[in-house]
This record gives sequence, structure tokens and C-alpha cells, in this order.
Amino acid sequence: MLLVLSEEHKEHLGFLTQVDSAVVGEFGRIAVEFLRKGTNPKIYEGAARKLNVSSDIIQHGVEGLTYLLTEGSKLMISEIDFQDSVLVLGFSEELNKLLLQLYLDNRKEIRSILGELAPKLPSYHSLEWRLDVQLASRSLRQQIKPAVTIKLHLDQNGDQTTKILQTDPATLLHLIQQLEQALGEMKTNHCRRIVRNIK
Amino acid sequence: MELSEYVQSGLQILADSGCFSPSAYTVLLQTAFQSLLNAQADQVALDHPVLKHIDPTVLKHCHAAAATCILEAGKHKADKSTISTYLEDCKFDRERIEQFCTEYQKNKDTLEIILGSIGRCPLHVTDVSWRLEYQIKTNQLHKTYRPAYLVTLNVENSDSRSHPDVSFSCTMEQLQDLVGKLKDAAKSLERASQM
Repeated sequence: MLLVLSEEHKEHLGFLTQVDSAVVGEFGRIAVEFLRKGTNPKIYEGAARKLNVSSDIIQHGVEGLTYLLTEGSKLMISEIDFQDSVLVLGFSEELNKLLLQLYLDNRKEIRSILGELAPKLPSYHSLEWRLDVQLASRSLRQQIKPAVTIKLHLDQNGDQTTKILQTDPATLLHLIQQLEQALGEMKTNHCRRIVRNIK
Repeated sequence: MELSEYVQSGLQILADSGCFSPSAYTVLLQTAFQSLLNAQADQVALDHPVLKHIDPTVLKHCHAAAATCILEAGKHKADKSTISTYLEDCKFDRERIEQFCTEYQKNKDTLEIILGSIGRCPLHVTDVSWRLEYQIKTNQLHKTYRPAYLVTLNVENSDSRSHPDVSFSCTMEQLQDLVGKLKDAAKSLERASQM
């Protein structure tokens, strides 16, 4: 699958031919940093002054590069497809190699950043448990009532929440049995076939 | 067992065969037990024909006294001799004591269950449901290709106010971690029960 680049996009990337490969590498680094932490316009101004061009051009160059990297990572395009997509820009052999290297080096990290954007439910973080025995209450003395108290740690959008839950021994065994069945499902032929065939 | 003046006086009236004939006593006793144990008994059936000739205020007093006595006995898991002694002090005759104790013995277990279920506790897990999915792509990321579990713990509040269930997603490794920890808890429960 090839990346289709718009005319505007090609124009923005065109700037990269006017600078040497060290600068392109630097732009690549900036692009990934912006993906990690968000954009910082001051960087554009600094680079614009050093290279003696307007900061708009710098911004377009970096954004074009970012788009190239994120689209490639999102679609998980192969090396060959990436090279072919970039060929269309008419860059030098050296620049093409540089762009490919940039893509391959950063693909995994970019994919994991993109993965965070998906709609999500709270996810499991960890679990702590405690065994309690209730001996008496206001309404009944001389009890022996075992219970398991559970502290469930969940993550949602970076915030950790905690839920305190309790269960009795019979339900605990039931939960274990049900969840073991759930785990076993991945090993069935049906699931294995699907995992093998969807690529 | 220590009960208030009000309860004691109610029991003493109940003991009096001048006020309560044997059949009236039997009916009131059974009604008292039923009103405690039967969840549907909103309206206490104190309008049994045998009780008709007794003053309603007296009926209510004695019914409340009997119910309180039953609850106290249940709360402290009182044995037959404790109950007998207490009723003797309230001037119950042998026969009425026997009847009370027999009725109590019959309903003791249910009573304990009901008393034991009163009280606060953290959200109680009653069941779990799960879903296994295979993620293929999102609008931001294609070819994700990984399995994920969605687990929902069904939860009950002790005040029977409904509470939203606790749902979360997890990977296979995380689910294994979760199950492993629950199994540790179960093992330690088993060891504790053998002590």
C-alpha cells in the first residue's frame, strides 16, 4: 500500500531538499518529540532564525515530515512501500535513505502513541487482596463469616482509580473458575484459526 | 439476656392465661415469628379471630415484646436454658415456655441468617462476565491485531441501591495476573479454614 501525498504536502516536504541531512535528521527528531509531548512553536522560530527562512516554512516542513511518519506507522506500510511512496517526491538517494531510516527507527514508538488515542475503558492495573473473618456485628454476635476484601487498581486516561470490593469464598471460587475459562478461550481452535488468518 | 421494662411487662401480660388463652398465645407467638422471618409480612396479621376480644393496644404491646425477645435471643445465640430462665422470670408456665422454645428452635437458623445479613459492607461482588475480542484497527492505528478481554464484575450494594458494575479491559497477561492473585487468596482461605 502506498502513501498518497497531496500537492500541498509535497510542497511542504520540498523544503527538506534545501537543507543538509543533519538538519533533516534534526527535523525528524523534533517531529517525534512533538508527537510525544505536543508542539512547541518556539522551536520553529529558533530553527527559522538559524536557517534564515520564515518560521512558517519550518513548521510546514516538520508537519509534513510528521504526517509522513504517522501515516506510514498507522498503516504499517512495508519498507518497499515507504520507499516507493517517497520516490514520488523526487528527492536525492541520500534523502530517501534518511527518511526510510527515520521511519523504521521511530515506527514502533509512534504506533504506541497512536494506540493511546483509541477509545478506552478503564484498564486493569493490579489487585490486592485481604482475608477477613467477621466475628460479630450489631445485629448478630458470635459469627464466623469469612470474606475476601479486594482492592482493584484501574487506569483510565492516565489516572489511577481504586475500587474496594468484597466477596465471599463461594463467589471467589466461582470468579476464578469463570476467568480461567476466559483465559482458556484463546487456546481453542476457533480463536487460533482467527489469529492465524487475520493479518 | 437483658430486656427493657416495656418488653418485660409485655411478656408478663402474654404469660397471663387470663389475658391470653392457650390458643391466643399460640397464634400470637406464631405471628411474632412470622412477622420477623417472612419478608412478605408487611401487615402483621393480628386480626386473627382468636385475638379479636383482646384490646388492640395490648396486642401490639405483647407482639412487640415477643418479637424483641426473639430478636435478642437470636442476636446472642441464646440456648434453651437461657431463654427458659428468662421466660420463667416473666411468669411463663412450663407449657408456654416449651412452646416458645420449640418455635424458636424451628426458626433459629433462618433468624440467624436474617440477622447476619444486616449490616454494611463494601460493594459485594456477586458474579463476573467476560468478553474476548480481537482488535483489528482503530481510526488512528491500523493492523493492531491483538486479543483483549473485557471483564465486568457484577456488584451489589448492601443497601440494595443498585450500583453500576465495575468494568475494565485487560490483556491476556493482565488477566493471568488477576486470576493468579485470586487463586492465592483462595489458597490462603483454604489454609485458614484448616487451622
